Amino acid sequence: MTNAVEMKGISKFFASSNVQASSNVDFSVETGEVHALVGENGAGKSTLMNVLYGLVEADEGQIFIEGKEVKIGHPDDAIHHGIGMVHQHFKLVPSFTIAQNIMLGMEPSQYGLLQPKEEEEVVRQLADKFGLPVDPSARVGDLSVGMQQRVEILKSLQRDIRILILDEPTAVLTPQEVEELIQVVRGLTELGQTVVFITHKLVEVTKVADRVSVMRGGKMIGTKKVAETDIPEMARMMVGRDVLFRVEKEAANPGEVVFEAKHLTVLSESGVPAVKDLSLQVRAGEILGVAGVSGNGQSELIDAIAGIRPVEMGSLHLENDSLDGLDVSARRDRGVAHIPEDRIHVGLNMETSLEENALLSRENHPDYNRWGMLIRSAVRKFASSIIDRYSVASATPEGGIVTLSGGNMQKVVVGRELAGDPKLILANQPTRGLDVGSIEFVHKTLIEARDEGAAVLLISVELDEIFSLSDRIAVIYNGQIVGEFAANEATEYQLGLLMAGGSLDQEESAQKKTPAEALP
Amino acid sequence: MEDILGLLTPALLNSSIRLATPIILAALGGAICNRAGVLNLALEGKMLLGAFLGILGAFFFANTYMGVLVAVMAGGLLGAFFAFVYLKYDVNLIILAIAINLLILELTVYMMRILLGNVGTWSDPSIQKLPDIEIPIIQDIPVFGDIVSGYNIIVYLSWFLAIAGYVVLFHTKFGRHIRAVGENQDAAEAVGINSRRIQLFALVISGALAALGGAFLSIGHLTLFTRNMSNGRGWIGVSAALFGFSHPIGVFLAGLFFGFADAFAVRLQNVTDLPPSLIQVLPHFATLFALVLVALREKLSLYMAKRRSSAALRSGSEAATAD
Amino acid sequence: MDRARRRKIFDAMTVPVLSIISGLLVAAILVLFTGESPWEAYKTLFSASFGCAELSRCALFSMLERATPLILTGLSAVVAFRSGMFSLGQEGQMMIGSIMAAWLGYVVMLPAGIHPVFVMLVAMAAGGAYGWIPGWLKVRLGVNEIISTIVMNSIAILFLEYVVNFPLRADAGATAHSHIIHETAWLPTFFPGSRWGFGFIIALAAAAAVYYFLWHSSSGYQQRMAGQAPLFARFGGIYNERIAIRSMFISGALAGLAGAIEVLGVHHRIITGFSVNLGFDGLSVAILGQVHPIGVVIVGMLIAGVRLGAQLGLQIQMGIPRELGGTVIALIILFVAAEKFFQNNIDTFRQFWERIRPKEPVGELGED
Repeated sequence: MTNAVEMKGISKFFASSNVQASSNVDFSVETGEVHALVGENGAGKSTLMNVLYGLVEADEGQIFIEGKEVKIGHPDDAIHHGIGMVHQHFKLVPSFTIAQNIMLGMEPSQYGLLQPKEEEEVVRQLADKFGLPVDPSARVGDLSVGMQQRVEILKSLQRDIRILILDEPTAVLTPQEVEELIQVVRGLTELGQTVVFITHKLVEVTKVADRVSVMRGGKMIGTKKVAETDIPEMARMMVGRDVLFRVEKEAANPGEVVFEAKHLTVLSESGVPAVKDLSLQVRAGEILGVAGVSGNGQSELIDAIAGIRPVEMGSLHLENDSLDGLDVSARRDRGVAHIPEDRIHVGLNMETSLEENALLSRENHPDYNRWGMLIRSAVRKFASSIIDRYSVASATPEGGIVTLSGGNMQKVVVGRELAGDPKLILANQPTRGLDVGSIEFVHKTLIEARDEGAAVLLISVELDEIFSLSDRIAVIYNGQIVGEFAANEATEYQLGLLMAGGSLDQEESAQKKTPAEALP
Repeated sequence: MEDILGLLTPALLNSSIRLATPIILAALGGAICNRAGVLNLALEGKMLLGAFLGILGAFFFANTYMGVLVAVMAGGLLGAFFAFVYLKYDVNLIILAIAINLLILELTVYMMRILLGNVGTWSDPSIQKLPDIEIPIIQDIPVFGDIVSGYNIIVYLSWFLAIAGYVVLFHTKFGRHIRAVGENQDAAEAVGINSRRIQLFALVISGALAALGGAFLSIGHLTLFTRNMSNGRGWIGVSAALFGFSHPIGVFLAGLFFGFADAFAVRLQNVTDLPPSLIQVLPHFATLFALVLVALREKLSLYMAKRRSSAALRSGSEAATAD
Repeated sequence: MDRARRRKIFDAMTVPVLSIISGLLVAAILVLFTGESPWEAYKTLFSASFGCAELSRCALFSMLERATPLILTGLSAVVAFRSGMFSLGQEGQMMIGSIMAAWLGYVVMLPAGIHPVFVMLVAMAAGGAYGWIPGWLKVRLGVNEIISTIVMNSIAILFLEYVVNFPLRADAGATAHSHIIHETAWLPTFFPGSRWGFGFIIALAAAAAVYYFLWHSSSGYQQRMAGQAPLFARFGGIYNERIAIRSMFISGALAGLAGAIEVLGVHHRIITGFSVNLGFDGLSVAILGQVHPIGVVIVGMLIAGVRLGAQLGLQIQMGIPRELGGTVIALIILFVAAEKFFQNNIDTFRQFWERIRPKEPVGELGED
């Protein structure tokens, strides 16, 4: 049997971000199977699929579709070869009906006029054929997310797609919708479709896929039959264990509980709960590392604590004060510091100077403000102190922040946030995209802050980072804390399992594959 | 009060329709651009260019219809230039429109003065006004005939174009692609629609339409060109397009509303001491009101969605604690 | 001055300067149509607007008088743009300011000195309120400020029309105009025979104030951060919404001040069609002036000079229609807008220069 898709030696280097997103990857999908492609964020799975769909051009490598070598330089080519892709962000026109969206670009017309009846009939037949019932005349803007996804799938199928790529299709769905989607995908393969299912949730893999390929760090780690593997094995492949370095640190000396979140629920941008009834505590002088695959509510959690995102339910306490109802400035005044995930757009203002970046959240502080006017000399002195203390290379207070390297930019962020001895430090992926030297620097700085008595809440998707910094480790999955360990009692394997939605009971009974039942 | 009611005559409606024509044409152009996702604030300049070149064309070719054709082509070309600069150099559309409006305002007078002598207003006895067309049979129907018949070709064209615009936008493939590009460019591109081509087309058409409105001013309504002849009608067209929700029929009615307000204000001035500008301002207030309503509607639906999800969450958590 | 700063200023100036040169070159073709030499035309244009033959009729003074409202409306646009609001409402806000000035200058009796100050403050408040409305609509309801300010311009134009024709109409003359305001409300002029006066000083002071506000006050800092990087501002606890509304108020107040000064210092009344397009010229000034107060002052004078020189020099001395001035300005904006057109070429040139330039140690630029 020829493979539906055969990718050989695919390599892709992104010069702009200096990332080797894919190095010499082989990947093949058999006709009629559901093939799960798993890996952590940044493992290269999206890049690989974007190459297949013609959104990204590979530097090297060959693609064979149904045995024939093809060149795919544009999504149109991909569609021509029978490849369709449903993206995480749907490409639908909200004011159009389902039929109009599905038929967009291939509308039936007569004497130049559209034929809405015929159009709806075509869609109705298509929906019947694949067993995906929809109301062709419903407006897409009124549909639930799950229904919109169904429209996207039908849109691909209408274009005679034989190979359907679903990019993290469950990330936006409710649990019931996930179940439905799994049924739909299984149904499609019975009708001869081939499906590539991108995910990082291993439970879903066991439910939906025939085979699974695991990627890590831009490399293909391996492909297995799902029937012959289990969640612990996949987790091990996914997480890997290439430890880079460990930071020297003294044992923690935890004091009082400084920060506490109780039964916290936070909604995501789209109004779906991203953090669900989550409770945690951080003590003075300790680092609590929250491990998890990104997109499991970490950013919403941090933003809610910082005051950027509203809290739907639950309460936050810093020392003995409630943080509820306080705005960002008031929380910062009470000693909350925040190293954000995205330093380019959130942590810094690329269009201005280093000193103005350093000033943020201090512009009304009496040290820098007299009668509403900024004391420029004080601001400059503060900026210089950051430059000196953290040895920000080739920087001046007046110079543009944009000329600095990523590591030096992060030093400015860290310097700004840690100045003034904060009580609680929120560090959301503080070393993302940094070089080794800068990572080490950020780690040392966080440990110093801890030793001076700050409570540090660290979010990271890198297990290495979690292990080298944390005194205590919590695992977040699907908006909830699913496990908590003292740092010296946890293993990477345990964390990886929990991060992927598995449970520790499986570890003991890991011999056979009954993962679905073992879930919480 | 009786005086005011006495103003509502077929003659008033006639002049409403005449005053509305350039606004309707510009607004139709604006509506197509809105639908294609390119805010066109250069309608004023395009209309003025049409007025200027329309009368020049009528003069040089000694044929008024040629003047109309010249105006339409020039407007289309200006639209194409606008689109080229926008799509090629990624120029801010608003700044570009400001520059184009100013350029046409000044350049038309400059050219008028060096080509036609140092005058502020230009006309030539040889130029014929576009003839009024009486529609057989219909013109004989009392009242209705007076209202519907007896306009020049551009007025009838504007009616036809409103209907054509509606058919094209909502009942042809091309129109649907325009709306798709305007509403979600990614969605359109994903199915292979060339959004740049669509936006180029919208800008060209809107230029031609606004210029046709300009030609109506200089050779349809009057036979002269004067500095800043469009006098804000292009901007009113922008408002009318918004007030009509960028729907060709809605835009047509909005244009009529603006035209009616103008005509009524003029009549009112002749009969009473009531301020005409207070009548003319009404459609602008209505536009502002419409903008607020649209925004409120979106705000409300967002709020309702949030509330629904939040209510579902609460009931869910109560059920969970009850377990 | 260190290298980074020099380079910043150089970068800010390159595009406008190249645009001005290109605009003048294209307009030169238009001059050729008249049979005159472009060189002569430009010489006349600039000598007529920046020269000063005698104090009693000094072109330079007229230029400065005309630059006054341009600088103020330009500053109005700067405040809005720098805070991330694309307001086109200067025209309407200015008219509201001038209506207030014409009204209060006529109906209120106050001693000289106090009268103009009072009138200007009220006009600023009125213009500010007129700017506040689109700001509020944008922030609270999400109404696009570009569109709402355009509609509000039309409303203000019609309102002025009404005011001039009815409540404030002076007499039944051909063009409607309001009563002359009391002399107590007039702003003093510097030289008899010219209307260049105290308003210009106010405009310069406003430029300085805007500069200090935006770059040296904490509110201005918040304003700019919210405009440049909304996520960054929100992250640091700056309320983007409140700031957007505040910026629209300040922007409107500056435009209102421009309108008041036109009445108090120049016309002493309002007339139909008063100050049409001054608002859009203000936008042009802001764009050409790189959205910076210093640039606005320079470009405001430049544009006033070009317009005046086209009228006094080109039209009167050479018979070239004065509209050439406006055409030049429009062309320059067009070139500035198409910044990328130059930017591509500048970047190519700079790469070329970096390659052939003798190497000097610049210091390490970072490790990754």
